[in-house]
Amino acid sequence: MASRWWSQSVLTGVPMGVVTALVAALLTRAIGGPSASDAAICIGFVGWAFGFLGGMGAFRYPRTLLLARPDPTAEEEHQLAVQGGGPWRYFRFTTDHKVVGIQYLVLGLVLFAVGGLAAMLIRLELLRPGAAAFPPATYNTIVGLHGIIMIAGTIIMITGPFGNFVVPIMIGARDMAFPRLNALSFWLLFTAVPVLLCAPFLGGFPTGWTSYAPLADQAPPGMDAFLVTILLFGGSVAVAGANIVTTAITMRAPGMTWTRLPIFVWGAAMTASTLGLMVFPAFMAAMVLLGLDRTLGTSFYVASGGGSAWLYDNLFWLMGHPEVYVIAIPAFAVIMELLPVFSRKPLFGYRTAVASTTAIVGLSVLVWAHHMFVTGWAPQLNGPFMLTTEMISIPTGVVFLVAVGTLWRGRIWLTVPMLFVLSFLWNFVIGGMTGLYLADVPTDYQLHGSLFVTAHFHYTLMGGALMGFFAAFYYWFPKMTGRMLNETLGRIHFWVTQVAFNVTFLAMFYVGLQGMPRRVADYSAQFAAGNFVASIGAFVLGAAMLVFAYNIVSSWLRGQRAPSNPWHAKTLEWQVPTPVPLENFEETPVITSWPYDYGAPEPTPEGAAERAPA
Amino acid sequence: MADLGPGAAAPGNPRGGAGRGVRPEPRHIRRVLVIWAIATVLGIALVLNLHRLLPGLLPPMASSEAQGVDFTLGFFTVLAVPVAMLVWVFAAYSIATWRVRRFEGLDGPPISGSPVLQTTWILSSALLCLFLVVYGLALLTNVSAAPPGRLLTVDVTGQQWQWNFKYPSRGGVTTTTLALPVNRPILFRVTSLDVDHSFWIPALAIKIDAIPGEVTTVYAMPTREGTYTARCAELCGLYHSYMQSRVRVLSAGGFSSWIGAQERVWGRGGG
Repeated sequence: MASRWWSQSVLTGVPMGVVTALVAALLTRAIGGPSASDAAICIGFVGWAFGFLGGMGAFRYPRTLLLARPDPTAEEEHQLAVQGGGPWRYFRFTTDHKVVGIQYLVLGLVLFAVGGLAAMLIRLELLRPGAAAFPPATYNTIVGLHGIIMIAGTIIMITGPFGNFVVPIMIGARDMAFPRLNALSFWLLFTAVPVLLCAPFLGGFPTGWTSYAPLADQAPPGMDAFLVTILLFGGSVAVAGANIVTTAITMRAPGMTWTRLPIFVWGAAMTASTLGLMVFPAFMAAMVLLGLDRTLGTSFYVASGGGSAWLYDNLFWLMGHPEVYVIAIPAFAVIMELLPVFSRKPLFGYRTAVASTTAIVGLSVLVWAHHMFVTGWAPQLNGPFMLTTEMISIPTGVVFLVAVGTLWRGRIWLTVPMLFVLSFLWNFVIGGMTGLYLADVPTDYQLHGSLFVTAHFHYTLMGGALMGFFAAFYYWFPKMTGRMLNETLGRIHFWVTQVAFNVTFLAMFYVGLQGMPRRVADYSAQFAAGNFVASIGAFVLGAAMLVFAYNIVSSWLRGQRAPSNPWHAKTLEWQVPTPVPLENFEETPVITSWPYDYGAPEPTPEGAAERAPA
Repeated sequence: MADLGPGAAAPGNPRGGAGRGVRPEPRHIRRVLVIWAIATVLGIALVLNLHRLLPGLLPPMASSEAQGVDFTLGFFTVLAVPVAMLVWVFAAYSIATWRVRRFEGLDGPPISGSPVLQTTWILSSALLCLFLVVYGLALLTNVSAAPPGRLLTVDVTGQQWQWNFKYPSRGGVTTTTLALPVNRPILFRVTSLDVDHSFWIPALAIKIDAIPGEVTTVYAMPTREGTYTARCAELCGLYHSYMQSRVRVLSAGGFSSWIGAQERVWGRGGG
C-alpha cells in the first residue's frame, strides 16, 4: 500500500520511465554500434513504457502472484480503488472504473485537441496553391500525426470513457471484471502518447498513418517512434477490449438477460470491443515486421530481398477496415441508445438492431481488400470484395430504419445530445452513399487515393462517429461530472460544427472528383477554389471546437449541479445517485424489464433499478 | 411494467410489433410519402444539373473508360437520392410534427417494431445491393478486358519523384512525358524502382499502383485529343505532390511523327 502521497503515481512513473528508456537505448547503442541506432530508439521507447508502468506500481500485483506472497486483502483492494479519494487519484494506478472513464475522457479530448491542431495546419498549407507554410517533410509528418492521433482518439472516444464509466453501471455491476487490467489499459495508452510526440523530433515520418512499406523502411527514425506507438496502443486496445467484453458477459446483474441488455452495451462492449481485440494484432504484426526490417535488416517488405509491399498492404487493411467499424459501431450504439430517451418511445426493432450490429462485425473482417482494388494485388478478387463490401450496407442500413422508426410519432425532445444524434442521420447518409462509388471497382479506379476518399471517410468517421461521441458526451457528462453543460454554448457548438463540417468536406468531394490526390502539400491552380473553401470551413470548425472546449472547462468547474436523472432515462446508470458512489449500487439490482419500455400502459416512473424487489 | 419473459406480449415487448391499442395514423404516412416523392424528384433534377452548377466538376472524359465511370457516378447518385430522402424526409417530418418544447413527462405510443417493415427494409436493401453488385461486375468485366484494336504497350516506371515512359515496340524510346495515339488501345505495364506509387490519369479514369518488384497492368482507350496530367496517387515521400507528368493524346499522324522524332533523338535500336 502506498504510504507517501507521491509514490506510485505519475511523479514516480515518468522519471522511472525516462531513466529506463535512456539506459535501455544507450546500452543497445553501446552493444550494437552505430548500425543499431534504430534498434536503440525502439528499445528505448519500449523501456520507457515498462519503466513508467513500473513506477506507477502496475507490476505489484503480478509480482505478488509470481513470488507467492499473500493475496491482497480487501482493504488493499479498496485502497487501490479509492487512492485517497482526492483529485490525485486521477494520476495514479486507480482501479475504480469511474476514475478510468474520466481519465480516458480527458486523454481523448487532449488527443482531439492535438489532432485538430494538426488538421488546422494541414488546411493552412492547402489554403492556397504553393505550399507556403511548411517544408515538405514537416507537412508529411503533420499529415501522419493528424491521421494516427484521430484514429486512436476515435477508437477510444466512446468505449474508453463511456464503456468504462457507464457500461458497468448499465449492467448493474460494481466494477469491471478485471479492475487492474482496466487501469493498465489506460496507462498503457498514456505511455503511447509521448512516444508518438517524439516522432517529429526524430525526423518525423513521411508515410501518413497508413505507414505503407517500403516507404516506411527508408523513413527517418521518427518511423521507429510511430511503430512503437502502434505496439503500445494495440496492447492497450487488446487489454481494454478483453476487459470490457468480459465485464458485459460475466458481470450482469440478475435479470439482465441478453434481450434486456441496453443497446449501448451491445454496441460498445459486446461487438466493438471484440472486433478491436480480434483485428488489432494484424497491425501490431505488421509493425513488428517493419521494426525487424528497420533494425535487423530483414526484408519482409523489400522486393529486392524477396519481400513484398503487398504483404504490408494486406496486414494493414486486415486491421484497417474492421477498425473503422471499431470506431463506428459504438457511435451507432450511442445513437440507438439516445433515440428512445429523447423520442420517449421504445427502440424500434431492438433485436434486428442487435443482429445487424453483430452482422456488421462478421462482414467487416471480409472486406479489407476493397482498399487494394488499385494495387494490382489480386485482380481476380476485386469482384468478390466488391460483393462483401456492398453487402455490409445491408446491416448498416438497418441503423437508419431503427432511427427513423424510433423518431416516428415520438415526443421528440431536442436537447443538445439529441441534436447531435440527428446530425448523424444527415452526415452518415452522405458518408454511406459516397461509399458506394468506392465499393464499385471501376469508379474506385478513378476515385481511390483522391480527396474524394478523404471527404468520404470524414463524413463517416467525423460527421457520423464523432457526432455520436458528442451526443454521448453531452448526454453522460452530467452523470460523470455532476455538472450540466451550458445549453446555449452547446447549441452554438452544434450549429457551427454542422455548417462548417459540411462546407469543408463537400468542398473536398468537389476537388476529389476534379482529380486532386490526397496527402499532397501543393496542387495546381484548377483545385484552388475548392481548397480555399475547405480551408475556411475547417478554420470555422476549429473555432466551434474552441466553444466546445470553453463549455467543458467552465461547466465542469462551475456549471449547474446535475440532478441524478436529468433526461428521465430508464437505464440503470440514471437510477443511481450523482456523484456515483464507489461501488455504484448499495444492493445488487434485479432487472425485471426492458430499458426502453416508454409509453407502456402501466406507468413505470420509478425507473428500472427501483423496480427491484427490496 | 413490461415483462420480457417468454410468452409475454405486453406492449413494449420488442417482439410485440406495434403495441395493441396504438392507433395507426395513415394521414401522416400519406403526407410524408408525398413530400418524399417531391423531394426525390427535386433531388434527381439537382443531380442531373450538377455539372452545370459546378463547372469542371469532373475531369474531361478523354477515354472510353472515363465515359463508363462518369455515367456510373451520375447513375449511382440518382439511385442514392430516393434512399437518402427516405431517411431525411421521414426524420425531418417527425421532428417538425412531434417536437415538444420541453419535457412534459409524457411518452409516445409504445411501438417497438414492425416485423413487416423490418423485413421489407432488409429485403429491399438486399435487392438494391444485388443490383449494384451485378452492375459493378458487368462494368468491371468491361474495363478489365483489352479494348479492341492494335494494342500499344507502354512501360511505366515510377521512382521518387518522377514517371518514366518506355515504348518497347519503338526500340525502347524512354521519355518523361507521355504521348498516346487517339482511338488506339493502350496497355500500361507499371512498376516502381523504390517505394509504392500509384499511376493515375484522371482524364482517362485509370489508376494502378506501381509496386517495387511487381508489374501491374491497366488498359486505356483514349478517345479525345488533348493535354492532360498523370499524377502519383500514393503518398511516396518528400515531393509526392510534384510527381506529375504531362500526358498528350495525339492524332494517329501526330503520334507517328512524335515517336519518330523521339526515335531519332534516342537512336534507333538503342536504349
